[in-house]
Amino acid sequence: MDFSEKIVSVLEEKFGGKREPLAKWDACVVIPKEYLHNAVEFLKNDSSTQLDMLLDEAGIDYLTYPNHEGPRFAVSYSFKSTKVAGRRVRLKVLVSEADLKVPTLTDLYKSADWLEREVFDQFGIVFEGHPDLRRLLNHVEFVGNPLRKDYPAQKRQWLSTSDYLMPELEKRLESKGYKVIERSEEINPVDEEYLEGSRK
Amino acid sequence: MKNEAEKPNFITSSLDFLVNWGRTNSLWPFPYGTACCAIEFMSTEVGRYDLSRIGSEYVRFTPRQSDVLLVSGTITYKQAPILQRMYEQMAEPKWVIAMGACASSGGFYDCYCTVPGIDHIIPVDVYIGGCPSRPEAFFDAMFDLQNKIKDESYMKQRAERVKDQLEMIRAKTAECKAEAKALAAEKAAGAKEFLVEKEQKLIKKAQFWKE
Repeated sequence: MDFSEKIVSVLEEKFGGKREPLAKWDACVVIPKEYLHNAVEFLKNDSSTQLDMLLDEAGIDYLTYPNHEGPRFAVSYSFKSTKVAGRRVRLKVLVSEADLKVPTLTDLYKSADWLEREVFDQFGIVFEGHPDLRRLLNHVEFVGNPLRKDYPAQKRQWLSTSDYLMPELEKRLESKGYKVIERSEEINPVDEEYLEGSRK
Repeated sequence: MKNEAEKPNFITSSLDFLVNWGRTNSLWPFPYGTACCAIEFMSTEVGRYDLSRIGSEYVRFTPRQSDVLLVSGTITYKQAPILQRMYEQMAEPKWVIAMGACASSGGFYDCYCTVPGIDHIIPVDVYIGGCPSRPEAFFDAMFDLQNKIKDESYMKQRAERVKDQLEMIRAKTAECKAEAKALAAEKAAGAKEFLVEKEQKLIKKAQFWKE
């Protein structure tokens, strides 16, 4: 029996998953939100699976998808095994617009940290239990989530000042055993100096 | 006398020529490279094309020591305040070259995150097309910039600058004078009140003793 077929049947039995009919080339299972963490823990630690690498985490917006029924958003997780060649599985969690919450995977995979931050930034999906859920790609003054289908793709937003990252840096230095002698303070820019549109 | 000093004469034009000669032949670029145009600039700079033969000998990696800000690459909105700050840190005289399609117009990134041309943030002297631009195009832009610098008048700019400074000083003095006047008027009013009060007290005292 093929590995992917086996793992799909196991996920269906144990965690109430469903095979995604749209996935033609790989094993993709839709998992209920409440069983996601357990399922991923099983995939990572069980000796029969050994999927110890999280390749990618991607948000999906089905707003303009043809013939789609059900919740608007989804988060797709791609797993791979570094111990056994050719083992790959994709999990999918459906997220409705009313309840934009998904449990985090940062306690299992460290690579999930920035991947979840990116999905949060671009789609506005909140990962519960994430240690540092901030925007990753867009700037701090950005309003909205640009990869949602209802965000106008050419709507531009100016940033008035560069991101203030000193507190993070100081925290990290302190965690490595350094001592911060003097705390830095953010200097707020004057209102007149804000970048507002064209300045020719 | 004042008008004559503003008009170009033999001395000022000779000085202009000398200053411009120096400036045109020692343009030190500051590479602000964010994308593939910066790679193209590297090949412009090294032996095969050799940017130093037109005087751009050193590539300075600090804005304080360079003359030309060379923006080569895509500028995003997150990057824009940093670029503006770099430009403001450069000492006068300064020029800006927008290298490649992205820096000039945003290129094909017609989206929420890319600035549509760096001329929305800082003034640009020369634009170069291409994606990325060839080293030959870069040399062409440098020659254009040199021609532009040759036309500039150091004395005229200086006169304008001095005029601006004079106006600023005058405005500041007028402001200070007005402030001082207001303060003096306030003090005088205060002193007057004080005197009146004292007088009334004295009168009261005198009346008391009389009684």
